[in-house]
Amino acid sequence: MSRLYGRDAGDITTAMTGFRDGSLPATVMTRIAKGFSDDELRAIAAWLAAQK
Amino acid sequence: MGISHRINRRGFLGAGAATVASQAFPSPAFAQAAARVVVIGGGFGGASCARALKQIDPKLQVTLIEPNKTFTACPFSNTVIAGLRSIEQQQFGYDKIAAGGVTVVAQTATAINAQARTVGLADGSSLGYERLVLSPGVDLRFDALPGYDEAASAKMPHAWKAGEQTLLLRKQLEAMDDGGLVVIAAPANPFRCPPGPYERACLIAHYLKTRKPRSKLLILDAKDTFSKQRLFQNAWKELYPGMIEWISLSQGGKVNAVDAATNTLITDFGNHTAQVANVIPPQRAGRIATIAGATDNTGWCAIDPVTFESKSAPNIHVIGDACLAGAMPKSAFSANSQGKVCASAVATLIAGRAPTVPKLINTCYSLAAPTYGISVAGVYQPKNGVFADVEGAGGVSPADVPADFRAREADYAQSWFATITAEVFG
Repeated sequence: MSRLYGRDAGDITTAMTGFRDGSLPATVMTRIAKGFSDDELRAIAAWLAAQK
Repeated sequence: MGISHRINRRGFLGAGAATVASQAFPSPAFAQAAARVVVIGGGFGGASCARALKQIDPKLQVTLIEPNKTFTACPFSNTVIAGLRSIEQQQFGYDKIAAGGVTVVAQTATAINAQARTVGLADGSSLGYERLVLSPGVDLRFDALPGYDEAASAKMPHAWKAGEQTLLLRKQLEAMDDGGLVVIAAPANPFRCPPGPYERACLIAHYLKTRKPRSKLLILDAKDTFSKQRLFQNAWKELYPGMIEWISLSQGGKVNAVDAATNTLITDFGNHTAQVANVIPPQRAGRIATIAGATDNTGWCAIDPVTFESKSAPNIHVIGDACLAGAMPKSAFSANSQGKVCASAVATLIAGRAPTVPKLINTCYSLAAPTYGISVAGVYQPKNGVFADVEGAGGVSPADVPADFRAREADYAQSWFATITAEVFG
């Protein structure tokens, strides 16, 4: 499985938003993304993007 | 390794002007730099917390107290019981944690003085702290089920702490003749790893179906419902038809006593004599939590969900299976999430600021077969003083999906284990 660390923050936010609204199918992320607001998703994406 | 690192660090500071200056003019900044946090228990909760503390504030003096030099992980240990994996794949050391600046002390904590803020160790030494984190996991209650004590567990393994017990249950299954009866006794809530007994039933059935197909597996349960119930029951029918029988509490499934001499489990409605008996007894927080004054009359630890600080023992935080975390299940994922959030709260409190309200995640994968995975996930936040589910989020895997979906979840389960163990121990 590929790593999330260091990926583009905008791409991660887009994916998380897609999981949340169901437009991007997944096994578990659809269930988890629904627990977070836009600001929280952006904060999660920024943190992941900053990791090496 | 941790100790030599600490000496090196002191040596470096001792040679610099900062130490000299601080002795002449003690400053709040330097007093803060020397803050001591002791973490007891080197499982998923404690090891995560110790590491996160050092990452959040490298100046903190972080000590991790854990008597075992090798950690044996419980998640995936059911695959060892089923002969799909070796115990060595479950084992991890503390060298990398020590190399990151955490002082790892291979001792058992035996005493806590919450007023003096000291931890006493089995070797008679003592450690001071500003804040203490307890991550002691569970103790099996050998007083709760008549006939089931530590000696009985050598005959009727619990295998609810990974290691020798896991291997004992594996050996018993290997030695059993085809056509034998395996019984799993599952406890009432709360207990470590709510889906664990049912995943175990699946993976033992996988072994039996492959090698001893005339055998049966009986689950005697002290509950009427359990985690991922519909998914497990569907998997039993689909993968192991006629092999697994579940007897719920209201059907008389509660085991009231056991007789280890004859491998018999006693219920209100009769006795079951097993060729292999896996007795998972009731549990409570690890003993050091009671010594610390952090357990309530349930045997578990009530905590503030923002800081994980004990509701009864000030400056002592409790994370992982030992704490009462509301809607969060007792899992390795929960313990890891809690360890990181607790580390952030402890560092923030030491810096004299107010911790922010956290949001935590848990995902528990179970394998019904090597390529058949199911999961339950949740997002949690403090509400009325306990962790509650964030509404609309979480839930279990869908019921009616193609085999490919189950295969992907089985893959993700493996990836999850590789990722979490690398993050915590690697």
